[in-house]
Amino acid sequence: MNGPVRRLSIALFAGFFVLLGAVTWFQVIHADSLKADPRNPRPALSERGKERGLIVTIDGEVVAQSVEDPEDPRSFARLYPGGEAFAHVVGYNSFIVGDSALENAYAPELRSRRDLTISDLIAVMLGRDLRPQSLEITVDSDLQTAAYQALAGQTGAIVALDPSSGAILAAVSSPSFDPEALLGADAAEVWDALLADPASPLSDRATREIFAPGSSFKTVVTATALDTGDAGPETKFPDPVAFQLPGSTATISNANERVCNDGVSVTLLRAFVRSCNTIFADLSVRLGADDIGITAEAMGFNRDIPFPWFVPHAVFPVDELRNDPAALAQSGIGERDVRATPLHMAMVAASVANGGVTPTPFLVSRIFDADGKTVEQIETAALGRAMAPATASVLGQMMERVVTEGTGRLAAVPGVRVAGKTGTSQGPDGLPNPWFIGFAPVENPTIAIAVLIEGGGSVGDSASGGSVAAPIASELISLWMGVGP
Amino acid sequence: MTRSASGATILAASVLAAFGVTLVNFAKGGNVDAQTALTFLVFAIAFGSVQLAVQTWAPRATPLLIGPIAALTAIGFIEVYRLDPVLGSLQRWWLLIAAGFAVLTLMLLAKSSTEIFRRYRNITLLVSMVLLLMPTLPTGWAFPLRGLELNGSRIWIVLDVGFTSLQFQPAEIAKLGLVIYMAAYLADHQRALREAHRQIGPFRFPEPRQLVPLLVTWGLSIVILISQRDLGASILLFAGFVLLLYAATGTTGYLALGGLLTAVAAVASYLAFDHVQRRVTAWLAPFENYQDEGYQIAQGIFALGTGSLTGSGPGLGRPDLIPNAATDFIFAAVGEELGFAGTVSVLALYTLVIAVGLGISFRSRDTFRKLLAAGLTFVFAVQTFLIIGGILRIVPLTGIPLPFMSYGGSALVGNMMLIAILLRISHEESA
Repeated sequence: MNGPVRRLSIALFAGFFVLLGAVTWFQVIHADSLKADPRNPRPALSERGKERGLIVTIDGEVVAQSVEDPEDPRSFARLYPGGEAFAHVVGYNSFIVGDSALENAYAPELRSRRDLTISDLIAVMLGRDLRPQSLEITVDSDLQTAAYQALAGQTGAIVALDPSSGAILAAVSSPSFDPEALLGADAAEVWDALLADPASPLSDRATREIFAPGSSFKTVVTATALDTGDAGPETKFPDPVAFQLPGSTATISNANERVCNDGVSVTLLRAFVRSCNTIFADLSVRLGADDIGITAEAMGFNRDIPFPWFVPHAVFPVDELRNDPAALAQSGIGERDVRATPLHMAMVAASVANGGVTPTPFLVSRIFDADGKTVEQIETAALGRAMAPATASVLGQMMERVVTEGTGRLAAVPGVRVAGKTGTSQGPDGLPNPWFIGFAPVENPTIAIAVLIEGGGSVGDSASGGSVAAPIASELISLWMGVGP
Repeated sequence: MTRSASGATILAASVLAAFGVTLVNFAKGGNVDAQTALTFLVFAIAFGSVQLAVQTWAPRATPLLIGPIAALTAIGFIEVYRLDPVLGSLQRWWLLIAAGFAVLTLMLLAKSSTEIFRRYRNITLLVSMVLLLMPTLPTGWAFPLRGLELNGSRIWIVLDVGFTSLQFQPAEIAKLGLVIYMAAYLADHQRALREAHRQIGPFRFPEPRQLVPLLVTWGLSIVILISQRDLGASILLFAGFVLLLYAATGTTGYLALGGLLTAVAAVASYLAFDHVQRRVTAWLAPFENYQDEGYQIAQGIFALGTGSLTGSGPGLGRPDLIPNAATDFIFAAVGEELGFAGTVSVLALYTLVIAVGLGISFRSRDTFRKLLAAGLTFVFAVQTFLIIGGILRIVPLTGIPLPFMSYGGSALVGNMMLIAILLRISHEESA
């Protein structure tokens, strides 16, 4: 009789072996994908009320911190003293609506890794520090706050960079939101209201939205022309009322529907300073899509930019434009399918300011532990060389002329040599999107900036980069340079 | 292993339970308090008294059973307490009561030996049948003993005792009685059952006359399924009988026929009952039916995955997100808070208990005791496999308690008595 019992025993143990296999399947092999499943609320719930690290600006301003909850001493509440000005950079960590921006990108560092599990206990005994780590960000709090205030009541974005290192000095998007409102029990309703707002305060226009750059893109075309030697500042171009698009009856004309200079000929410098579309449409066709593409891509177009979060690609569609001169002519003035984030356009300005080398933007300069000791110092290598040093120097002087005598006069700062380029692209709703990109001081640049006012801002239909974006750049550069208004 | 080693494992399990309760309290912001001491005392008293009863009335019994049982009870208790401290303190009372029943069982069997089961097998059967059918008593009548339907299954009885009313699942005790009856019946008719058969192909089939008990048990299982909507008990009863029938006769035809009858009943009940259909849907596609039928199983799997290797720690996970975690899904709660380390330990402990139970059967010379030990172990093993396999999507979920770990007094009492009987057989068969 032991025979059958033995055979049944083997079957039973085989059954338990299957259970062991299944539990291994769920707890070892598929543990990570089950944790990541959006329907699994546990990972987000476990973060609730836990201490997280600080986020501090380079000038020592705390913009995110955890404080003990007065009602529950074992629980922490997250505060964002930076408020709306920092909302798109710092983000939020909400157990109801998830997390965003730096709170999301640096979650592994910012969260406490102390979960009282056996492995934590072992880690502590081995001397590992499980307390949350903190971030130091490159943003200057005064500049950031001033930039946000400069956009008050308007839709738009500002990005300022240190042109030599790529450190982000300011990155604001307007309108913004109060991140602390997304932490409370009514977070879901606040979230729905923000989503329903037609001004879309949740979208980060500085680094996550792309816009047609308009005439500010002429900086890229000019860099190509100077770099290839196809044209110099004094090279003369024909000066028609309108440029006939190759293979088409359509034309491109200047903003004021008039000739650029005298109707006969005009130098590249003058065309740049007055931002003449006719000449740049012509020049783009002469240069060809490939050469402009090389410069644009060296400045960060058509590729991934290393950043704490995904930055949408800036677009200059070389392959489509190669055999389509009409489209190329329109693209050369930053219209048609050319797109960039304000971050990308700040990088274009920084390339010129930095002797032709495009810096890689970065936002977090240092990760430090609970004792303030540096865990990691972050530096980035340059993205690449976009133009020769001589080209950058000549182009910088041309951009300075834009501010001293051209379309960007309102960007001028008394006592500071400011260089820049205006732009006014056509938004999808027909309203203008004024731009200003620039840097200062010309002799030794410490700031490169891009300002975008979506839909023309408070001026609306008649707005241009020179009239609404340039004054904001002027205000911020004077703040940065310490010359009071 | 000696008696002192057995005592040491009981002490270790008591410390484990008390330590777990303390960790849960820490996680909730509490401190070492009366719960720690109370838990330690209840575990030490309950398992200590069973151990003393074994030393007194079954001194030659294997020392390998009580330790693993105490450890399983401790791990289950930590999670029950973590899910609901009120259930935890009730479970402590049930543990004392169950230990009392185990002591009583050992004491009574010391006077008469397990032979008494064989002698009174028909009375055992009658009592078991009455117990099984008791939940079908009317709920509304004036008599103080009433049937009760909870969560769609009519498996409860309520006894009014003046100031309060006690709830109990009689099937948990009836289960033991039915196994005892089957073992006794098969021991008496073993020869006839084994020798009267025909060879058809690879299978040896019994004579039609010998099939009556198999069909009667099958019918009883179906009656339970229909009258009480208790899928788990129904499968458990029938599977236990078929396995025992095979163990007694070695006739493979019983396994084939049993499988066939199970298949017929399974298909028929799937077609006939909504609740069986929902269980099958939840089993096959829990994530596709996440909002309704599949929610419990999906949450159980998320709990296991989130627990991964070492778990969140007691009190630090969210097993409370799983519906009925303390009864049906205690294994998933262990997986979430104690991790893979916890679930593998639990599986190893169950395997150890089953191996010891089968070992008792192997070593028994008396046919009845051999079959009884095997039958009790089969029922224990199949029940464990069905509920853990249900959580792990190996089989459809049947909603039976996990022995010694789930919250539930009746199951604890029934399983403690099961272990007491196994210990007594072990004693009687060690010369």
